[in-house]
Amino acid sequence: MKTLRDRYGIVGVGETEYSRGSNRTTRAMAVEAVRKAILDAGLTAADVDGMMSYQNGDSTPANWVAPDLGIRLNFYMDVVGGGSSTEALIGLAMGAIEAGMCSTVAIFRSMNGYSEFRIGGTGVRAAQPVRGLDLAQVPFGMRSAGQNFALTFMRHMYEYGTTSEQVAHVKVAHSKHASQNPKALLKERVTVEDVVGSRWIVKPLHLLDCCLETDNATCLIVTSAERARDCRPRPVYVMGVAGRVNKPRTDFHWAHGPITRVAGHYARDIVFGQAGIGPEDVDVTGSYDAFTFTTMLQLEEYGFCPKGEGGAYVSSGTIELGGKRPNNTAGGHLCEGYTHGMSMVIENVRQLRGTVDDYCPGAADGVHTYDYGPGRCRQVRDAEIAMNLGWAMPPTGSALILRR
Amino acid sequence: MSVREERPIPAPPVNPETRPFWDAAAAGRLLLKRCAACTQPHHYPRVICPFCGSDRTEWTEATGRGTVYSYSVFRRAPIPYAIAYVTLAEGVTMMTNIVDCDVDAIRIGQPVRVVFKPTEGGPPVPMFTPA
Repeated sequence: MKTLRDRYGIVGVGETEYSRGSNRTTRAMAVEAVRKAILDAGLTAADVDGMMSYQNGDSTPANWVAPDLGIRLNFYMDVVGGGSSTEALIGLAMGAIEAGMCSTVAIFRSMNGYSEFRIGGTGVRAAQPVRGLDLAQVPFGMRSAGQNFALTFMRHMYEYGTTSEQVAHVKVAHSKHASQNPKALLKERVTVEDVVGSRWIVKPLHLLDCCLETDNATCLIVTSAERARDCRPRPVYVMGVAGRVNKPRTDFHWAHGPITRVAGHYARDIVFGQAGIGPEDVDVTGSYDAFTFTTMLQLEEYGFCPKGEGGAYVSSGTIELGGKRPNNTAGGHLCEGYTHGMSMVIENVRQLRGTVDDYCPGAADGVHTYDYGPGRCRQVRDAEIAMNLGWAMPPTGSALILRR
Repeated sequence: MSVREERPIPAPPVNPETRPFWDAAAAGRLLLKRCAACTQPHHYPRVICPFCGSDRTEWTEATGRGTVYSYSVFRRAPIPYAIAYVTLAEGVTMMTNIVDCDVDAIRIGQPVRVVFKPTEGGPPVPMFTPA
């Protein structure tokens, strides 16, 4: 299998505040996030000559953001996409550098996901005309991500006996992690009872099974391993990347079943094959949590537990800080805030550097207490390999394996 | 909770590729496309067979009988409703709604039959009710 293992790295990460009312343009937020990532890397604007972003007509393109920072680009590309784009774009940035098109790429996502452009059948979008795939969906009231995924979740419960209480542990774990994250929108720890007692949104999803609409911008910087070694932080290398991998017949995947199988089934051999490792070698995961169920479905599809045993896996304590393989240690989209996946990669980069921005006074210098009580530490001890499992829909996903 | 109120259903736009489907729906018949080359039926209707690429696709009438493959109940709406994937006797699975029943009593595997529900100014759409 072709692999660029260890030949590229992520050298800078940055983000704006996670809020529900930024009162700023996506352009201004993108500029802040990219600037912070450049500073984090110890680079200057002149060192960055590539830029990529992903959006759904809800953001500012790269060639508007770059000039605001005095960056002249040799390569830029804005793609249509939400979740699962981050990992895929890291692979594309590596490809652009490998092809000699540019040398260092900043990848950003900037969205006022709460105050401007809410996803799903709420707000102004509910009045949009019926078109495209909507032909088959809108008469049946299928408008939002939660509705779209819910039938996959229901079938999983039917086939494997998965319970709401088991899956609620994903929210419990991520809320625990968010309580150690000064940036998180929701810092309060919740219980299984809180989750299953919250109101129904779309069966089997309760309110607390769903992520948070958020205003935020995020950025990370990809460059070659040679340049990475000259950057300020400890380099984090890309071992493997896959995305955006599809199931057969993506748009009507339910017509070709099984709907409990998600894209990770097809992505795992690509990403683990490049990296030359298996799930047992991974210390930290970032399994996309648009909903509690998406985290579980992907963990089992990538082989962290046998297929169908995701409910037992996520409720075993394994995915919590202090457990064997914590997931989304910043609190993820359920608790930190919703960024279409990039924040989960940023968190894993920080985990591998050993400089997670928790409440430990010496965090920036890599000094942590490893006390996982509320308002304390969220650094995983000696994390060497981290994996991100990006989710767009049941039939579309991406994956990324990083090492320090 | 029993839900009997009717949810307003947006009209599906009709185009030349799908007109026979909607004309049949108006007459109370559920059509599928079947490929004359590979014999596989499919839905949503297409000119080109999504399985073998042949353009020899033909309309065929379905029995309108099926079972619930999966479903969900949308509560965040003025009138809660049940979206479902129904697997027809012909082997095709289609997106639809389960209607005219207690949405809390719907079960995966349940037998259902087609009914046609009026839309806002367009042709009726195929939905399903417990058989």
